[in-house]
Amino acid sequence: MHRVDNHKVIRNKANAKQVSTNMITKQIRYEVLVRALHTDLYRYAYWLCHEKQVAEDLVQETFLRAWRALDSLKDEKAAKSWLITILRRENARRFERKRLEMSEYEEMSIADNSAVTNEQQIENNWLREKIALLPEEYREPLVLQIIGGFSGEEISKMLELNKNTVMTRLFRARNQLKDAFEKEPVMRGQYNG
Amino acid sequence: MKKNQLCEVSTMDDLQFRRGIYADPHNKDKTFTDEVLAEINSNPIKKQLSNDIKQLDDKIAKAINVEVPEGLVNKLILRQTLVNHQQQKRKSRIYLATAASVAFTIGLTFNFMQFSSAYDSLGDYALAHVYYEEAHFNNNMDAKISLASLNKKMAPFDGRFLSSLGQLISAEYCRFDEMKSLHLVFQGKTGIVTIFVVPKNNSLSFDDKFKDEKLNGTSQSFDKANIIIVAKPNESLQKWKRTINDNIQWSI
Repeated sequence: MHRVDNHKVIRNKANAKQVSTNMITKQIRYEVLVRALHTDLYRYAYWLCHEKQVAEDLVQETFLRAWRALDSLKDEKAAKSWLITILRRENARRFERKRLEMSEYEEMSIADNSAVTNEQQIENNWLREKIALLPEEYREPLVLQIIGGFSGEEISKMLELNKNTVMTRLFRARNQLKDAFEKEPVMRGQYNG
Repeated sequence: MKKNQLCEVSTMDDLQFRRGIYADPHNKDKTFTDEVLAEINSNPIKKQLSNDIKQLDDKIAKAINVEVPEGLVNKLILRQTLVNHQQQKRKSRIYLATAASVAFTIGLTFNFMQFSSAYDSLGDYALAHVYYEEAHFNNNMDAKISLASLNKKMAPFDGRFLSSLGQLISAEYCRFDEMKSLHLVFQGKTGIVTIFVVPKNNSLSFDDKFKDEKLNGTSQSFDKANIIIVAKPNESLQKWKRTINDNIQWSI
């Protein structure tokens, strides 16, 4: 009888240990995920909302949701598209809230031009404005392709679009940016001062 | 005619090529087969366009890769840790609250089952009550309770006994159909005699006489209280009733 009790105690301890081991494993998984993907996610968020603070909030919300649902992520390779899907939903919620609040939303504020020092940064800022001016539906696949390294096939799944549509939008996005380069060499010259 | 056709084919081909290279400059979607890629490489114009677009893409990538706020990683980890901690705390509070409410419900149910009205008459209730406490009393117990202490307990009912009714084993307040009542246990001939003094405002219907296979009972209604007697059939309830009537005195 006594031995049975002892066994029980040991088993309970083992269970408790198992639980806390699982928690630690989950914590490690989470931290690895944050470190590996927060940069891409932040940038993607930034191009969705064009505001640094909002982008940061979106990323925070996304990772919190990710933490809660971490057990449902079975394939680490799918982590990036999983997180992006969470972030897109989060952004849609934000948008819905904003629409309800009827707050006046304004011109998009684009990357700050303040600390511009060299030509490369001047060009970056000029190009950022052009990217920001692309129609949303062209910009999003482009950002996903370039930041996320996703194929058109993967993007079409994430955005729930036909793959041909995605490819056409990617074509148009680059086409517009190329046009901008060709049309505004002078403008950029002026930026150069 | 033939030349025109060729031209058209080449234009179509060109457009197709342009669309492909713009949409998928690094051929992630295998837009171009290896053969076509080789062909692009061998065609200076196409190669030029392909390189241009790749260059454009490098620039786009540089522009798109905006600076990430410093310390974002730490913020993300910290926030999760805090939220998790709070959840843990909330969880243990919920467990505690659940345990408390389970205990409360059990207590409530227990009381309900014991004392509440699965019975609709005084007699049924009295019998159930006697059976419930059967184990606590037997006829051979010491019967040392004095008339004075009995009368002290009678005081809330505005009553007192002039002399002793018999050998009193126990006199305790109890709940009788959720009312504070006095539960008296006397020595009887072969078994205990139980007497309840119950306040008048009672939801149970009044039984003058009642019995089951083991016990008989009788109730008497006074101005201030009902008195219920429960005992074995060999006990004369009539005699007990008379003794009570002779000795009870209600204050005005």
